Amino acid sequence: MSQVAVEAPPKGGFSFDLCRRNGMLSKKGVPPPSYRKTGTTIVGLIFQDGVILGADTRATEGPIVCDKNCEKIHYMAPNIYCCGAGTAADTEAVTDMVSSQLQLHRYHTGRESRVVTALTLLKSHLFKYQGHVQAALVLGGVDANGPHLHTIYPHGSTDTLPFATMGSGSLAAMSVFESKYREGLTKEEGIKLVCEAICSGIFNDLGSGSNVDVCVITKGQKEYLRNHQLPNPRTYVSSKRFSFPKKTEVLLTRITPLKEMVEVIGGGDIMEE
Amino acid sequence: MSIFEYNGSALIAMVGKNCFAIASDRRLGVQLQTIATDFQRIYKVHDRLFLGLSGLATDAQTLYQRLVFRHKLYQLREERDMKPETFASLVSAILYEKRFGPYFCQPVIAGLGDEDKPFICTMDSIGAKELAKDFVVAGTASESLYGACESMFRPDMEPEDLFETISQALLSSVDRDCLSGWGGHVYVVTPTEVKERILKGRMD
Amino acid sequence: MTKQQANWSPYDNNGGSCVAIAGADYCVMAADTRMSSGYNILTREYSKICKLADKAVMASSGFQADVNALQKQLAAKHLTYQHQHNKQMSCPAMAQLLSNTLYYKRFFPYYAFNVLGGLDSEGKGCVFTYDAVGSYERVGYSSQGSGSTLIMPFLDNQLKSPSPLLLPAQDAVTPLSESEAVDLVKTVFASATERDIYTGDKLEIVVLNAGGIHREYMELRKD
Repeated sequence: MSQVAVEAPPKGGFSFDLCRRNGMLSKKGVPPPSYRKTGTTIVGLIFQDGVILGADTRATEGPIVCDKNCEKIHYMAPNIYCCGAGTAADTEAVTDMVSSQLQLHRYHTGRESRVVTALTLLKSHLFKYQGHVQAALVLGGVDANGPHLHTIYPHGSTDTLPFATMGSGSLAAMSVFESKYREGLTKEEGIKLVCEAICSGIFNDLGSGSNVDVCVITKGQKEYLRNHQLPNPRTYVSSKRFSFPKKTEVLLTRITPLKEMVEVIGGGDIMEE
Repeated sequence: MSIFEYNGSALIAMVGKNCFAIASDRRLGVQLQTIATDFQRIYKVHDRLFLGLSGLATDAQTLYQRLVFRHKLYQLREERDMKPETFASLVSAILYEKRFGPYFCQPVIAGLGDEDKPFICTMDSIGAKELAKDFVVAGTASESLYGACESMFRPDMEPEDLFETISQALLSSVDRDCLSGWGGHVYVVTPTEVKERILKGRMD
Repeated sequence: MTKQQANWSPYDNNGGSCVAIAGADYCVMAADTRMSSGYNILTREYSKICKLADKAVMASSGFQADVNALQKQLAAKHLTYQHQHNKQMSCPAMAQLLSNTLYYKRFFPYYAFNVLGGLDSEGKGCVFTYDAVGSYERVGYSSQGSGSTLIMPFLDNQLKSPSPLLLPAQDAVTPLSESEAVDLVKTVFASATERDIYTGDKLEIVVLNAGGIHREYMELRKD
């Protein structure tokens, strides 16, 4: 046991050390903690020469917004990106894990990653954990076989669709897609439709909010449009600066000077051999 | 009652102009009973990097020890201090390792990175990073702190201004939270010095 | 005996925040106009502020069906009062009536969190804050609803009123001017809207002063 504790860095995989203790606490009536969620609207669609992904940028913990401008479109490979909804830590970790596996696979084979490879890696990981890794994903990319768009559910089941939505705002976004999507959209039309779908999630679903992120992937090219639209600026900033009526009272002050960074001055003599 | 509310805490970090501040309350309680009024919740990782741990105090201290251990190994191997971004990734990885049996702990990380660029970050108890440009908060008083910071924060504050703002935000928030309070502990870090101050607050 | 618990609740929470600030000769009441349920917005234009008498205005968050029933109840009682006394109810009297009305339903409460604001007999601003079962207090300022935890610390910081235990008793009203108070209310709502998902859409501000009741609106974030 002591050997295991000292072993660092760990070999990877989950550690279940604290499960017994936490289970005991749960049984005694202490509710398990809530995690940071991305309430989220995430969408994707296939247009005439590739895939467009879109996401809002709000992260919530219960009724409180904890991040107003988070990134939900995760990098998987140069030609593949993935939107994540669900528990923030899970979507982040699962996409990071798979993207490094893909990178290693590319080093091994020397070829561009395929979307199905990412899809299989993601779904097998999620299936292994039987829905306890709470990640709902929209995976999109363009590879040797053309553009692909998939959705992956937390239990590991997948769909292959021309247009897809996920997260708490999925219904709002899907209603836009269902009424306006058609085959062979141009890039501009595609981006506009994605933005409209995300905005309908932002405005009609309380779990989604703030800005619109878009990612356009075409053959051999990608455009990550971070904060493509900013439809929700702060509505009021007071013209006057608030002063503090009561000054803070300090009991003790301790000042520690930091060492000056030593500057290396160039132009000196070159050291002799 | 949530386990995060067992000991009670309030943590906050703010960014100023080429500087940052991190502050916490000083109360350690067991539910509504106060145990200590000089509790350290903010730890120094190295001169330019600070870590605050809110939540269950026993987990916070265990986690801190593991992080110090890993940071020392890094220093031995690399002969340099960790960058704040790197440290945040380390904390996140350590927390996510225990995804299904987490430490009941919400960290706040604040540091000066390359070219004295301030970095602040918070996470939930399973390591979902939240990088912010303005301020981050954690602990039982987090809702109050969000409200206070949203109203008080201004971008590009000078160190003294930043100190006053973070202190006012902290003190007015903990006064509305039963589980945190008893004064505050504030660190203001500029490229040249660390100014640590202990604040007087309500003692109830 | 299979079913032990009801899986249906007679209550819902429709969210929203209310703020009231009392000044020397005015009272500012404010609330957002969003009504929501779960993750859905039911309407973006629902007024949470209700005029009960010429000098008494109530802002309520919580379950709007209960709030509506409560407002009707108070309106009926106020009508009876007018018939009996041939005058409008004063704000402190309305405050006591509201407390009694809430406590009358002690064991099946109105799920309503109210602030009552107005002008007292001397024309001074007054604010009364309540819990759901009628406990109330006269204060200088107050906030209720989903964003109240975010709003209250900043109000404390700016307006901290003297302790009610102080002797001789001191005025709880804020030293701010009317326009400063309105500016403060706008700031706290803009801040609360940034972080509370149930607060937003539009801010309704009602100002009571010697000149009567005056209403204004400000846009808030709609996400």
